[in-house]
This record gives sequence, structure tokens and C-alpha cells, in this order.
Amino acid sequence: MNPVLEFSNVTRSYKRGVPVLDGISFAMQPGEVLGLIGRNGTGKTTLIRIAMGMLYPQSGSVRVFGLSPTDEPIAVKKRIGYVAEDQTLPSGSTIAELAAFHKYLFPKWDHTLEHALLERFALDPNKKVGKLSKGQAREVALLCAVCHRPELLILDEPAGGLDPAARREFLETSIQLLNREGTAILFSSHHMGDVERIGGRVVLLDEGKIRLDRDVASVGEDICVAVFPVGNEVQAKLEGIPGCLRARAVFGMWHLVMEGNPDEATTCITSAIGPREVQCVRMPLEELFIEMVGGGRA
Amino acid sequence: MHIAINASADLPIYRQIMRQIEEAILGGRLNPGDRLKSHRELSEELVVAPLTVKKSYDELEALGYIETQRGRGTFVCAEPPGRSKSDKRRRVEDAARAMLAQAESAGMGIEEVVEILRQVNAGQK
Repeated sequence: MNPVLEFSNVTRSYKRGVPVLDGISFAMQPGEVLGLIGRNGTGKTTLIRIAMGMLYPQSGSVRVFGLSPTDEPIAVKKRIGYVAEDQTLPSGSTIAELAAFHKYLFPKWDHTLEHALLERFALDPNKKVGKLSKGQAREVALLCAVCHRPELLILDEPAGGLDPAARREFLETSIQLLNREGTAILFSSHHMGDVERIGGRVVLLDEGKIRLDRDVASVGEDICVAVFPVGNEVQAKLEGIPGCLRARAVFGMWHLVMEGNPDEATTCITSAIGPREVQCVRMPLEELFIEMVGGGRA
Repeated sequence: MHIAINASADLPIYRQIMRQIEEAILGGRLNPGDRLKSHRELSEELVVAPLTVKKSYDELEALGYIETQRGRGTFVCAEPPGRSKSDKRRRVEDAARAMLAQAESAGMGIEEVVEILRQVNAGQK
């Protein structure tokens, strides 16, 4: 199958010599769900804007349905749904007016889906957009992004600022779309629990590069964190241990993110630096995220 | 049956689903021939990706707990593993071993453990 979205060696910087994205490559298959995670300022939004054709990559290329989003914006945007991180909707118009406007733009607009979503979200079509709560505004933005039945849905922090119940409703809708329409979804998020729920695959960005790209179930099973007291080792040497993804010192203890199960990881460490008292455990995504990109502590 | 997902647990979601279905089959809350929810139904109910549900079902099928009948759905197998008399006995023995280990670390002998079992049993009646 041809990928719905493909980044090849994409780089982008806003300041000369300081790349925000530094050689990003990955592809998404139809129907795939990919959670993009990373600290603030690591280029998640930049990457999404490049996919949308709103920014050019300075080198490398992006293809959406095999097309360049900057050369063929209409052909691409017809088949894509997008909710921006700071989506602003025209506050003076009503939900119905806004939907009518989108209907006019997208000939394939699905009225049944529109009404089903209005009902699900309990939205009054005659309400002015400016009077909506933050959660309702996101729901309207989602409605406008999906009723033309896109093959690829891109959500930039869909859960940003929503309460847990609103987040769950947003997730429910995404999963139903996935089930019923086979929509591929790319979403960025800081909510690791959400990524674990709907992300089939997780991509971690850090310092412009992909630090992790794998199945979300495998993250929980095939990666673990080893902890042992800091001796005279240096970080670079530890990070050179086969299977070591990251090493950092936290309050006098080394924390090593390791490939494999705890027994395998312990063996790798002790055979590289000699016998040590290593404690090695599996961790949920949220803790792994911190181990992978969090700073050291004296 | 109800399945509870805890997204921050250190067990991946597909394993949580697997374990709860497995326990329901072993505990007799799901019986041979019972129909399981479809991938889609369960994925929407639990709000997890359909592929995650599929992964749990695939693994349970490989272990011989459930089987998919094309076009009809997914069912508990006629003879799922772990339900024979000797399997059940083995599980009680495992629990007994764990209990004895705990008693030993608390400095209690076998007589005291038997006494505790009798008292708890009397209390439950």
C-alpha cells in the first residue's frame, strides 16, 4: 500500500544553524494511528505544518497521498482533515453557518455524519461560535475537519486544555472515525494515556530527531529502565552500551533506558561495565517519556 | 463482562484486555461457546484503538482460549486451557505456596496457617 503521509529527511530551522527538525523520516500507512510526542518546542507543530503545506521543508521532502502539499494544495486538502493547536474559528458566525461554509468548500460533505456529531456533542447549531466553551470549540473544529470524510486526519494537540471528560469524548469520536471510515490519524499530544489508548504507533521527537518510533504495546514490553549508583562512568560510554537508548544521572543514580526485557538489559549493562547492583523495571509511557527526554539532576 | 483499562499501568493495554478475558474464562464468567464482542464494539466501548483489541484477540486465539469463526464472530473455545480439574488444583496449590511463604516470613508454622484457614472459612459462612 502507498503511504498516506511520508516525510523523507525533512529539515527545517527558524534560526540559521539551529535546526528544529534535523532529518526526519517516517511514513504512515492508510488506517494507521500515530501519536507524535516530544517536549514543548521540539518541532511537532512544525512537522505538522510541513505536512499541511503551510511551511516548506528546507531540505528533504514531504508527500501526502504521494503528492506535494505545496505544489498540489487543493488535491491534498480535499482528502485531509486538520485541527490546529490554536484553531481559531470565526466568533461571529453560528455553528450552522460555519458548517455551511465547509459544505460549500467540500463537495463530499457528509450530512449524516455532521448531524450525528452535532447530536453526540450536544451542540446547538444556532449558537454563536464565540459563545462556546473551549471544549465545544474543539468539537466544532473537529466536526469541520471530518465531515468531508478525509483519508488522513491531522490533530495538533487535540486535547490541549480540555478536561478529562471532554478529552475522552474527543478520543471516542476519533476511534469511531477510525473504525467506520478507516481514517489514518496523526496527532500530537502531551497526554501519554491518550497516546496509549489510541496510538497504534508512537514517534518521539527530541532535539530535531526521532528518538523512538515503534508500536505502543512494544514500548511497554520491549523497553525498560535500569537504575544503579553513579560511579566513575561517563555518560557517553553508557550510551554506547548495546541497546542503551539514553543515560542520565538523577540524584546520584544512573538511569538507563534499555532495549529488551529487564534480564537482558541487566546482562548488557553488567557485561559492559562489570558487575553492578542494577535494578531494572518496565515503565508506562509517561515515565519512559521523562527518562528519554527529561534532564539530569545533580 | 466488563473490562477495565488503566492507561498508566505498566502493563500494555492489549495485555490488560488479554488478562481480563483470560481470567473471566478461567473463573467461569465466560464459558465455552460464549460470543465475545467484535473488535469494533470493544474498541469503541473501551476507547482504545481497534488494532489493540485485535492484538489481544489474536494472542488469546494463539493460546487456545478463543476462536474466530469467519463471518460469525469470536467465541470462547470448547475446551479452553486451564479449566480441567488438575489445572484448577494447580492454581489453588500456587496460592497455597504463596500463603505459606508469607506465613514463614511472619514466623508462623503450618498449624497456625491451618487454624487461620479454618477461622476465615468459618467467618465466611
